[in-house]
Amino acid sequence: MSHRPLNNSEITALQNQGCFSSDWSKIEVSDPFSTDAIHQVRFIGTVKLGKLGGTVMTSKGETRTTGLFNCKIDTCEIGNDVLLDNVQLVKNYRIMDGVIIEQVHSISVNASSSFGNGFEIEVLNEGGGRELKIFNKLTAQLAYILVSYRHDPGLIASINGMIDDYSAKLSSGTGTIGAGAEISNTGTISEVNIGEYASICGAALLKNGTIVSKQEAPAYVGTNVIARNFIMLSGSKIDGGALVDKCFVGQGVEIGKQFSAENSVFFANSEAFHGEAVSIFAGPYTVTHHKSSLLIAGMYSFYNAGSGTNQSNHMYKLGPVHQGILERGSKTGSFAYLLWPCRIGAYSVVMGKNLASFDTSDFPFSYINVDHERSILTPGMNLFTVGTRRDSEKWPLRDKRKDPVKLDLINFEFLSPYIIQKVFTALDVLQELYDKASKKQETVFYKGIRIKRLMLKSTRKFYNMAVNIFLGDQVISRLQKMEGSPDMESIRKELSPGKRTIPEKWLDLSGMIASEQAIQQLLADITSGNLNTLEKIAAGLEEIHVSYEDEVWNWTTRILDERFDLDVKQITADQLLELITRWESETIKLDKMILGDAAKEFDNSSKIGFGVDGNEEVRDLDFEAVRGVPDENKFIKGIKEEIIQTELKAAELKEKIQGLQG
Amino acid sequence: MEKNEILTQVKDVVSNVLKVDSSEITDDSNFIFDLGADSMQSVELVAGFEEAFDIEMDQDRALEVQSIQDAVNFIAEYV
Repeated sequence: MSHRPLNNSEITALQNQGCFSSDWSKIEVSDPFSTDAIHQVRFIGTVKLGKLGGTVMTSKGETRTTGLFNCKIDTCEIGNDVLLDNVQLVKNYRIMDGVIIEQVHSISVNASSSFGNGFEIEVLNEGGGRELKIFNKLTAQLAYILVSYRHDPGLIASINGMIDDYSAKLSSGTGTIGAGAEISNTGTISEVNIGEYASICGAALLKNGTIVSKQEAPAYVGTNVIARNFIMLSGSKIDGGALVDKCFVGQGVEIGKQFSAENSVFFANSEAFHGEAVSIFAGPYTVTHHKSSLLIAGMYSFYNAGSGTNQSNHMYKLGPVHQGILERGSKTGSFAYLLWPCRIGAYSVVMGKNLASFDTSDFPFSYINVDHERSILTPGMNLFTVGTRRDSEKWPLRDKRKDPVKLDLINFEFLSPYIIQKVFTALDVLQELYDKASKKQETVFYKGIRIKRLMLKSTRKFYNMAVNIFLGDQVISRLQKMEGSPDMESIRKELSPGKRTIPEKWLDLSGMIASEQAIQQLLADITSGNLNTLEKIAAGLEEIHVSYEDEVWNWTTRILDERFDLDVKQITADQLLELITRWESETIKLDKMILGDAAKEFDNSSKIGFGVDGNEEVRDLDFEAVRGVPDENKFIKGIKEEIIQTELKAAELKEKIQGLQG
Repeated sequence: MEKNEILTQVKDVVSNVLKVDSSEITDDSNFIFDLGADSMQSVELVAGFEEAFDIEMDQDRALEVQSIQDAVNFIAEYV
């Protein structure tokens, strides 16, 4: 945009409209220019103005006349059709087209700033040692590496160097307010970059931060929010008097209802209301909704914290130096307490006050409860609960990220190779513990927690069920890719592993499932300098993420070979039929167990409190009116339909294969 | 194995697993409503029956067993 100085008649007109500048030569305007839309403005320093007096549409759909009214503008460049009304100070900002700022105390940049980029926060270990530099393109995966891989100082230094360089490039003495942003009824904003179409409405204080926002995924900061040293990404929302200090708020994240957070990161689609977070690594889909919940020094993903969840990282010895991990899909029940250090296996439920430190990461789908102050692990129990099934179905449907560029790489697969490798470990450990246990023992110990001896044998069945379903899913998805009526030779070819190295171990990098080899190669490339920019690292992670499906299949062929003595390159029709039959039977069995769990929601104990003043008949009628009947329940109907589809799919595949020779 | 033998052993297992005095267990006792079993104990009961009778029960059907009498009838299919 080209600018010119004001002419004398324009200066006179502005002065007559209550405007003031100690040096009018520093005020430049772009044509067509009219003084009509500028009243009661004090100009300080160099100010460049775009075209004013047109209209702008608010996010609520209201049309407003643009202009500068009753404000102090110090060293700013203002775009076309901007509305500044009753702004006590706006200083050192580049304000893009269509911005609306009304009833604001001050928006200023007072010294060169990187706007929260490169700011170091103490994540996970409150005592330090896992510092994370936040920036406006930070992903859950990169943060995971930076926080977790401190055993490799060279790697950490390399990445931190890149973040420093990147942050330095973003440093400026001038802030930006992106096109279409709206700021109203707000207190003080200093050293904050505000992205396009962001809305800030009623915030109390925003200091040293970046609000990334896009038209498709606007960010929102609401009433009485205080945020210091922060990065918030597109589609995120901080509202309701939330107090956010030294935090990263990822895409689609919501923080509100007086939640307070410090030294914490929240990745995609996390939700934090009412409670408190200190030094947490909230991976994608971490949810805490209730009061009296304290999440501290923990790493989570797909986590749901029940009301009153509490965690301790301090044993009054050497300070708050302990930390804990709840692997993906875990939950803590109401008033569940965990004493760090602890590591909880994936898709597990924690109940009660756990006063011991233990590691259940070898046992996904477990229940952890407390019996007479002793923590007890029930392995595999959570595989067949309604909660687990509902959670795994709802997560992908609740991806609130509208930004076309989704930073966090998320794998939603329920039975992933990461989980199945753990299941194999669980199977081996349970067998070993069973073999060693005396029948007189009521419980056995494993990594700090007790398991009831009786469960050692029976819960293996649950884990075997998971394995058979996983293997069947993988084989069937391969078979379904084949069109027409393939012969056994073509099937063997389709089932053969690809050229990639067969993964040995799988990792869950805060939502992204990847083979350890692929990640190690990426890290080696970072350390060696092959990947020397943050963009290259992001691209490398994306490439690994995209190759997931092929990698899984390769791993599946290894498992079939090593654990089931089944070479896919020589697989027979009978062996395929057996795999499909086992998959069908186990899938239906699991579905029936989940139906059994769902049925508990309709049994007599669930009817307690219904029909409050009536007899049993009234109770049943009241229950039915409020809760419905099992056959009409959406979830139950869905599972029943899944059983039918499983039978159909199995029958169709069996028919195809039965006629094949060899 | 006779059903009354099964019944005696079932009651023993239930008493051990649920920590309930055997005098409180009747032939019609429901594990959940009468004896206070939770979902984890339901799984433990199945494991207890399997060990006591040296059988392998079908998990999805076994978890549908809700009472002493159900258990006796169900186990009778296996022994």
